[in-house]
Amino acid sequence: MSALHPFSLLAIAAALPAFAWILPAPGGGLATTLIAMGLTLTPGASPGSTSAGLTPGWRSGLVTFRTALVIAAPFWLFLRLLHDGPTTVAMGLRITTMVASCVWLVAVLSPDRLVEAMVARGWSLAVAYLFAATLSAVPVLKARARRIVEAQRCRGLSPRGSVANRLRALRALALPLVLSALHEVDERTLALETRGLGMGVRRTPLAAPLDRTAERVARWTLLLLCLTALIRRLA
Amino acid sequence: MSQRPVYIYLWRDPHGSWPVSVRLLALIPVAVAISLALSAAVDAVALPLFLDTTGTILATALAGPAVGVAVGVLTSAVNTLRNPTFSPFVVVQIIVALYAGLAARAGLFRSLRTAVPAGLGLGVIASLTSTPISYFVFGCTTTGGIALTTALGKALGLPPLGACFFGSFVSDFGDKAVTFALVAAVLHALPRRTAARFPLALRAMGAT
Amino acid sequence: MRILGLDGVTFWYPATANPALENVSLDVGPGEIVALVGRGGAGASTLLLIAAGLAPRVTGGRLAGSVSRGARAGIVLPTPWTQVSGMAFTVWDEVAFGAANLGWPAHEITRHVDRALERLEIAALASRDPATLSGGELQRVIIAGILAMDPDLVVLDEPTAELDAEGTRAVWRLVRSLAAEGKAVLLATSDVDALPDVADRIAWLEQGSVRALGEPSLLAEDAMCDAGLGTTVAGLWHAAGLGAPYPLTVVDAVQRWR
Repeated sequence: MSALHPFSLLAIAAALPAFAWILPAPGGGLATTLIAMGLTLTPGASPGSTSAGLTPGWRSGLVTFRTALVIAAPFWLFLRLLHDGPTTVAMGLRITTMVASCVWLVAVLSPDRLVEAMVARGWSLAVAYLFAATLSAVPVLKARARRIVEAQRCRGLSPRGSVANRLRALRALALPLVLSALHEVDERTLALETRGLGMGVRRTPLAAPLDRTAERVARWTLLLLCLTALIRRLA
Repeated sequence: MSQRPVYIYLWRDPHGSWPVSVRLLALIPVAVAISLALSAAVDAVALPLFLDTTGTILATALAGPAVGVAVGVLTSAVNTLRNPTFSPFVVVQIIVALYAGLAARAGLFRSLRTAVPAGLGLGVIASLTSTPISYFVFGCTTTGGIALTTALGKALGLPPLGACFFGSFVSDFGDKAVTFALVAAVLHALPRRTAARFPLALRAMGAT
Repeated sequence: MRILGLDGVTFWYPATANPALENVSLDVGPGEIVALVGRGGAGASTLLLIAAGLAPRVTGGRLAGSVSRGARAGIVLPTPWTQVSGMAFTVWDEVAFGAANLGWPAHEITRHVDRALERLEIAALASRDPATLSGGELQRVIIAGILAMDPDLVVLDEPTAELDAEGTRAVWRLVRSLAAEGKAVLLATSDVDALPDVADRIAWLEQGSVRALGEPSLLAEDAMCDAGLGTTVAGLWHAAGLGAPYPLTVVDAVQRWR
């Protein structure tokens, strides 16, 4: 499953929720939910995928399955609270499909393969770069935020007091984080410039994932099926 | 230093790789990370805020709405990795970026007195935007809090869509006001040298 | 034939009245190693950014005078963690980042990257995630990344700041080998003791202008020792009130003593 081209994985993960919404409920929703949940049970993340913002080591399909269930369950509860039976089932199945396909995608797709796929296809380097750099930057800044919170706690920050006090405390936590991050933007700009980014030259792909013709055909077919179903539903 | 607009092509690029301003490539990931990292600060002060549009609004004030939209889309994408139900709300992030672009152009970040009302205005617009999404995709059960306030609204006799709006409004209103105030504070705290690199920032602060 | 030439360069950062550099003239030829020494804020980093072609193009600001650069330059900045590309999930990819951006064919990239990893003695780290490296390891990865782009002018800002003694020696060996193969090297460092064996010329920067320019024996002069910028041995000799000329290194001192 993880040997598939990243775009194929994206196509599947996008098609399932689309079908869940387009096909008439509850049959359509049930079918897609079963497929999506079934996918989550297949072997997990591809070898060589690293953390970079994603939870590492989702190798067991059971973990993925359980994660999807855990995220989707509260929605069923609240739907039951607000709506009647048929609506609950219809919406619940759609939401579950969406959750399951996304959770599966995260487990099975490694960011470096996706980035290399984008570069190999000649997609704008800016998009590929932004996607990858964001995934790298998030854990770093989150760790720094936690350190700032710890440091302020040592200085007596506590979650008590009036709203005004708490807002002031929030300011004292947020401002150093944001300002130091912005200062780093300067340094990063210099570093990226010297490494040749944004020069207008076509970047060489380092390890382009294999894109089989069969997969390409399958992706386009999937898209066509989606559109057909949509038109039929609207007509 | 010119601030070229960023044209981010999604399809095959005729030139292979468009010369984008590298400063924006450095700014956007950091802005997204800011939005997501602030959750730690919010938890520490135990306030019911998200601040997940801080990076979007800040990037817009610094570099224009196109950059803000990019930050918003990426923030949604990364949020979706953690919780897949965030994906439809990318529309809200885009609207936030566009609104912030107008606010920055009008120099509304020049003081708290102008920033906070602008933020409240955004709160209304953001909840107006997220309500239909919440209603049609999730049946108003986006989060526990929204579901419960929606139930409360229904009990009070509001129509379903209205109850849903009530639910998202309550959380969005204060959140966006605080975010605007925070971005204004950041802009004013920027050292001159850094602010000078982002000419739009000076306009957002009403300095030019 | 010079690879880098600065003639009467004065530079102002944006929105600042005082120039960061004032009337600086400096040449670096192929195979030459020029080292900048000076106190913090003296303008060394600014000069390096100008040499690498990043100021005023990327930093903004105004430059008076002329800068001529005959070839491609690459700069290694002092803080390794801000220089990580963000797009690489292994050290190999990180080092290849710059070379790939230049659009070279894949076999060229592989050749340069493998060579750079070898020279920095980090081939063992090739499949590690850069986010898990120590400061010193990361510093070496960044240097390798710049070398993999095969620049003719190598600019280094405090290259040994994060490194231990072993790593420091490796970097100075590398700098000498870079010059030996014909590259021009311009660096700023506070590790003054290494310079007599590494640098061909020293430039003393103070408050944005070049106060002295000459051979490494500069580091043993009274003025530099007074400023705290002489080598340790020279500084000791000077402080002890022993006669000039002061020895530069331990080896010199031992010879003098005999």
